[in-house]
Amino acid sequence: MKDKPPMYVAKQADVEALGFSFTPEALQPGRALEKIGRLRKKMRSLMVMLETCTKCGNCAKQCHSFLGTEDYYNFPAARAELFRRIYKRYFTLSGKIFGRFAGAEDFNEETLGKWLTYYYQCNECRRCARFCPFGIDTAEITIIARHILSELGIIPKFLYSSAVNMAKTGNNMGIPKAAVIDSAEFMEDEMREETGVDIRIPVDKPNSDVLYIPSSADFFTNVDTMLGAAKMFYVLGTNWTIPSSVLEAANFGFLFDFNVMKEHNRRLKVAAAELGASLVVQGECGHGWRAAKMYTNALNGPVPFRLLHIHEFCDENLAKLPLKKLTMRAALHDPCNYARTGGIIEQPRRILRVCVTELVEMTPNREDTFCCGGGSGILMDEMLDIRMKLGKKKAEQIKAVGDIDYLVIPCSICKAQIPAVLKHYGLDNKFEMGGLMDIVGKSLDIKKT
Amino acid sequence: MDYVTVNGAQIEVDEDGFIVNPDLWSEAIVQVFGKLEGVEDLTEKHWKIINYLRDYYKQFGIAPMIRKLCKETGFTLKEIYELFPSGPAKGACKLAGLPKPTGCV
Repeated sequence: MKDKPPMYVAKQADVEALGFSFTPEALQPGRALEKIGRLRKKMRSLMVMLETCTKCGNCAKQCHSFLGTEDYYNFPAARAELFRRIYKRYFTLSGKIFGRFAGAEDFNEETLGKWLTYYYQCNECRRCARFCPFGIDTAEITIIARHILSELGIIPKFLYSSAVNMAKTGNNMGIPKAAVIDSAEFMEDEMREETGVDIRIPVDKPNSDVLYIPSSADFFTNVDTMLGAAKMFYVLGTNWTIPSSVLEAANFGFLFDFNVMKEHNRRLKVAAAELGASLVVQGECGHGWRAAKMYTNALNGPVPFRLLHIHEFCDENLAKLPLKKLTMRAALHDPCNYARTGGIIEQPRRILRVCVTELVEMTPNREDTFCCGGGSGILMDEMLDIRMKLGKKKAEQIKAVGDIDYLVIPCSICKAQIPAVLKHYGLDNKFEMGGLMDIVGKSLDIKKT
Repeated sequence: MDYVTVNGAQIEVDEDGFIVNPDLWSEAIVQVFGKLEGVEDLTEKHWKIINYLRDYYKQFGIAPMIRKLCKETGFTLKEIYELFPSGPAKGACKLAGLPKPTGCV
């Protein structure tokens, strides 16, 4: 690859050890074209999108990636062109005959370099799709392009690492079962100290009705999210457990490889069957919810369990929860994957209105929300500069909300990205931040039950 | 691959500067990593955290929950950031020879 990509890329020996094949550089363009040729027959939606753009430019005004980085190729239509020009060159008559005059381009090493650089600067947030007059979803093009790169053995180190850990331990952080149990016990001690009550976090409990899938980050940094969920289940008397075999709501496979995605999803099905659960509840993870909700049926379906997000579960049971209002002015950030790909919009608001004295909306919000800039796994340390630019629109939104006590950021990636973004733009240390279940946990009146 | 020189020996580190083979960790490495991380003078407080991380990692094969690290060592998160500017995950874990915590952190 000619130009250095902005992220560390996994080495050939490493990707091969994970079961990927590594295509020699000279053969990469040919292999990629073969893949596109096969996809052409299977994915009509992609082909429609590749053939439909009129270059109206509406997406440019709406994409946080372009607005933040001011890099031409981050303008959604231009990002899509990186794929479209190749498609035209090899798969359309005008492209084959007229080449560059028909907006077509040869597929070479430089193309692959651009794909790696720019398809990993798209957060797959679908905001462009919302404002495109034709509904062209650049995220779909990004998803496919990344999967093609992975098939060639070109995978960012950050995503590769999570896949390695997932295969080894069933979660992206690489937490082995003994550590899961140790951490669960520690959290139980914390809750006992705080409430005087014995609230459990059951691990691998058989014959459980509900299987709760937290983000593994809830077992490392975002502990209050886990505590909030445990307290809620306790108060409701739910027969629940967490599975050590898949202690991970986040499906990073969705972000770069179909097979890794399918395998993660399969673990959910197996765990639910083994532990007897008829309801699987996903924790606070944006793209993990998107992958589970939208893809489970196609990947490993049909499944015998009901699938809910923890906010849906909480919302359904809201009337039964003894919640005391916390005196605070809280602003809600709508994670892109909840608002535009997951149908989690009004539930957090209903929950917050019961838990806090003042709920503040950002502008825009709901389906028009701006992604935090970390979406689709763009959390690499080596891409920090770019990530801060991707988070610029979000920072502006948060600043515009004025003085608040708490910022609700109910997705693991947002919890990792937004604090860094706020620090970069000088907006940190002004308020607390955390998940929605964190607030529920603090608001629950445990001693009453 | 990158290398750092520790007492004349070449120790392999990854792109993020974390030790590739945790078995090669030594107290001398802490000094070298410390300089790279802007931790010039290692005090008893630094070592308390590093030793706790190493013990936990040896027992459980992963870094401890940050809240547990704080509770067991008696430091607040703020104090840990003052001791290790890059924080518990990216700073303290590096000096302690643990692999870099990955995922949504």
